[in-house]
Amino acid sequence: MKIQRLKLEASVPAVAMGDIAFLLLIFLFILARTNDTSHIRWKPATAPTVKSASVAVAEVAIDADHKLFLNGRIIGVASLGTELTRLLEDRPAGQRAVHFKVDLRTPAQYFEPAIEAISSAGGELVHILEEEKAAP
Amino acid sequence: MMRLQRRSLLLEPPASATSDIAFNLIVFFLVCASVQPDTGREQLIPRVDEQKEKSKQSQNIEVSLTPRLIIVNGEPVPEEKLTSRLTSLLAGKNKPEDKVVLVKSDQATPYQRWIQVTGLVESAGGVITLRLEETKSTTVN
Repeated sequence: MKIQRLKLEASVPAVAMGDIAFLLLIFLFILARTNDTSHIRWKPATAPTVKSASVAVAEVAIDADHKLFLNGRIIGVASLGTELTRLLEDRPAGQRAVHFKVDLRTPAQYFEPAIEAISSAGGELVHILEEEKAAP
Repeated sequence: MMRLQRRSLLLEPPASATSDIAFNLIVFFLVCASVQPDTGREQLIPRVDEQKEKSKQSQNIEVSLTPRLIIVNGEPVPEEKLTSRLTSLLAGKNKPEDKVVLVKSDQATPYQRWIQVTGLVESAGGVITLRLEETKSTTVN
């Protein structure tokens, strides 16, 4: 008598596929946030009314040590205008938003030339601010 | 008559997937919390070449800003009266170029104060334009 060998079926568990796809999506979503500016130390200024800021083409920041950053990397104020012009290129009006993150104690001598550079490059300036909290 | 008992079906959700679901939910909310949208204020600042042309055409209001003082057309104005003062100055000016307010800041003026004052100027109907001090370098032989 011939004994038949037991056939073992090796199948991939399909139950986990949804989970894997979902985790991959989240992973790619985090990777897509390329302009990571979390290393910049700054405290936002406050204003009584603020709006949700639109999506920015570029992000200009001045940290607590008055260093100037464009999309997370240090840049000189002299080359800020040229770099922004290159980034904004032929974008139509309404799609040229430039987020401006400045530490609240920064003196005018540092932030005004940056504002001028953004304006000269044709950027639509958006000051990133926090809403003023009512005193307790 | 004999009564037939209905067979009870045990309907239980698969417990093995619960930990996966919990983990996915944690990751999802974590990502949502870290991607909070920025809030801020848009500000229209005319280009430098445009503002030069406009300042030639008409006499604009000038606001000088120091860490302690606000001076409107050479006259100190308390912060709480700035909006009303500018509103009265801008009254009757219908052309956009006439609504331009030249803001000249002292080098030491902090950003927080600048934001506060320019916010008041905009709420009075003014269009902010920066007046920067020009620096020229000359080489002497």
